[in-house]
Amino acid sequence: MTDLFDLPSDEPMVPSEPVRNVMTVSELTADVRLVLESKYKEIWVEGEISNARVWKTGHLYFTLKDASAQLKAVMFRSTLRHQRFRPDDGQHVVARGQLSVYEPKGEYQIVCQYLEPHGLGALQLAFNQLKQRLNKEGLFDATRKRTLPPLPRKIGIVTSLDGAAVRDIVKVLRRRHPNIHLVISPARVQGDSAASEIVLGLQHLSQIPGIDVIIAARGGGPIEDLWAFNEERVARAIAAAPVPVISAVGHETDYTISDFVADLRAATPSAAAELVVARKDEMEARIIRLSDRLRETVRDSLQRRRAAVHTLQARPGLAGWPTRVAMRGRQIDELAYRLSQSTRDKIGRRQRRVHKLRLQLEGLDLGRQLGIIRNRLLKGRDALVSAMRENHREQDSRLRVAASRLSTLSPLAVLARGYAVCWSADRSSIIRDATTVAPGQDIHITLHHGSLECEIKKAE
Amino acid sequence: MNDTAIKNFESALSELESIVKNLENGNLSLEKSLSLFERGIELSRYCHTRLEAAEQRLEVLTEKGEVGPAPASLMTLDDEGSL
Repeated sequence: MTDLFDLPSDEPMVPSEPVRNVMTVSELTADVRLVLESKYKEIWVEGEISNARVWKTGHLYFTLKDASAQLKAVMFRSTLRHQRFRPDDGQHVVARGQLSVYEPKGEYQIVCQYLEPHGLGALQLAFNQLKQRLNKEGLFDATRKRTLPPLPRKIGIVTSLDGAAVRDIVKVLRRRHPNIHLVISPARVQGDSAASEIVLGLQHLSQIPGIDVIIAARGGGPIEDLWAFNEERVARAIAAAPVPVISAVGHETDYTISDFVADLRAATPSAAAELVVARKDEMEARIIRLSDRLRETVRDSLQRRRAAVHTLQARPGLAGWPTRVAMRGRQIDELAYRLSQSTRDKIGRRQRRVHKLRLQLEGLDLGRQLGIIRNRLLKGRDALVSAMRENHREQDSRLRVAASRLSTLSPLAVLARGYAVCWSADRSSIIRDATTVAPGQDIHITLHHGSLECEIKKAE
Repeated sequence: MNDTAIKNFESALSELESIVKNLENGNLSLEKSLSLFERGIELSRYCHTRLEAAEQRLEVLTEKGEVGPAPASLMTLDDEGSL
């Protein structure tokens, strides 16, 4: 404020009787504050952030500057909390706020209500316009939303293989339900090619048989990085998918066009995975409940019937039944006994008759026949034996006649009459001629009784 | 109700539900309720089997949209999620 007094005085001081209205510093500062606050109640100002620092109190202090001026700025903790975009040094931003004065230091500053990256305004406008247009087309209608399948055969995921989103999803699904089939279609989820890669990924997954739900996912990040999910192409590809699509983009506070078009919005990729398996858990619980009820109701109905039977049994009309049944039982036993008796008798009679018949058969018929045959046989045998004996006797006498005749013819009979037979020494030939032998030679002579070994003395 | 072929999980589940409702509400004959019970048990077994049947698999599509194996980095994620 001293500067004011040091102004070069072009004009001559008016040497009037000045009314000295001396203010205190505090009074003046308070006054300036009022003037500034009322004049610059809601202003937009653009500049580059420097010296950004969050104090222990949680308030953010920084300086906005351009080439030739600086402006102190603060964003209080309560406002900062709702700020989606995190201010940092070097960022070119647009701030909305109110001018004020920090009296203890006599500094004026802007108290920011809102900050956005410079140039985002255009994007925001595009976002709003697209959202309105698609909404009018009915793409966000609740009636379009499909329910998640209770038991997805395969789960399709469009996301980047390098991001945290895919790891979060795989982790949750592995932990919750190990037996799950995932098909990932890798796609860049930020940058210029992101939108077309996401669209292609959705189309590819739509062609894989068995995929019953698709998750389009991306981890958290600055709003500009999520932008692909705000593009019309992506929104339309989600709407065109043949199976329900869950969008899981950024953090809980981030909303994209994809979230509005999708059949279900998950706050985060992990949450999307939980949604998918929660359905399965729910199914499991439902089936367990149903089979419990099934067993209970049948058990109850059987018990009811059993009780009803007991009640009926106790009634007088039926009460005598057990005795009556027992009596009938005895009757049946008796009948059975009598039946078996008479049967046994009948069988006995039959057996006796058979026996008698057999005796008749053996004693009368066969016996006589056998006797007759045996007699005939005996007679025949006797006749045969006597005939054979006769025959034998006749043969015998014939043999004897023949033998005596044979002995008269035998040369040996001649020896009995005194003749002898003269043999060569080896009895190979009979000697009939004296010339065939020589003196000194041995010969053999057979007599009627015995034989002689001789030596020839002389042959004539 | 008595055709033994089970079309799919959803139809099995809704048939099971209607059987339980029938049994709980109706004054059915013993024979009828026992045959419904048998059918119900069969259906609930089928549903259980279907829930457990799927096997764990992780596949990654190629640029042409063909099915391929997953990179090792994803296969080796443990329960804690660390790599």
